[in-house]
Amino acid sequence: MEYLNHLGLDAVQQHEHALLECATQSLKQFPELTIYGNAKEKAAVISFTLKNIHAHDVATILDSEGIAVRAGHHCAMPLMKRFQVPAMIRASFGLYNHQKDIDVLVQGLKVVQKVWEKAYV
Amino acid sequence: MSDLQELYQNLIIDHSRSPKNFGVLENATIKNRGVNPICGDELTLYLLEEDGIIKDVKFTGVGCAISTASASLMTETIKGKTREEAEKVFDAVHQLITGKLVEKPEVLGKLMALKGVSAYPMRVKCASLSWHALKSALHYQQEPVSTEHE
Repeated sequence: MEYLNHLGLDAVQQHEHALLECATQSLKQFPELTIYGNAKEKAAVISFTLKNIHAHDVATILDSEGIAVRAGHHCAMPLMKRFQVPAMIRASFGLYNHQKDIDVLVQGLKVVQKVWEKAYV
Repeated sequence: MSDLQELYQNLIIDHSRSPKNFGVLENATIKNRGVNPICGDELTLYLLEEDGIIKDVKFTGVGCAISTASASLMTETIKGKTREEAEKVFDAVHQLITGKLVEKPEVLGKLMALKGVSAYPMRVKCASLSWHALKSALHYQQEPVSTEHE
């Protein structure tokens, strides 16, 4: 608490929100990626799916690139039904993240695509 | 080959994209459902058994590449086998994906493609879902199997 109060919760929120904005923009470069949840005041989390690649396969490949995401129902199975998806991937940003972590995520998603495309060759 | 390349080798990705024996088997004599509630995978397995031999097998459901490919490879492998032979393959697959293979790889044939799963403990449940449904079906159990009750 001392640490957080020293930084100021407003500053923490601003930092996280800036990361959220930047990451949301960065992920838009993938046409096969769908983001779920776009509330203005939402926390710094992005839930998404990649067309034709299951969330758990995406998560395993991202993990091999050193990126930790959550994959699955996120304890919200009725919501998955509502969106008609079997599962989602969720990237969360916190105080300890930097802009460069977003670049790492983008690179990781490119690796996911490569692993999947390779099987066509 | 890296662990990741071994996990997602072409045979696995091919089977996940175009699973074999996918669909409802109308004249099935045994039907069993498997669910993995944590990740949301679900599968229904249909078997047509006559005189102790699995004459036909099909499956439906949704799942990741590993779970779909594993189910597809399973249906290919057990078709035409006796219940005892199918149980033996179940045991060998279980050993393979948990990294404790004692059976000869010959028993597994194409199923050796699932070997890469053993390097990913989180994914063992994906690969084993259809096999647990099979084992349950072979024992004529009606209750759905869940990977969370192992």
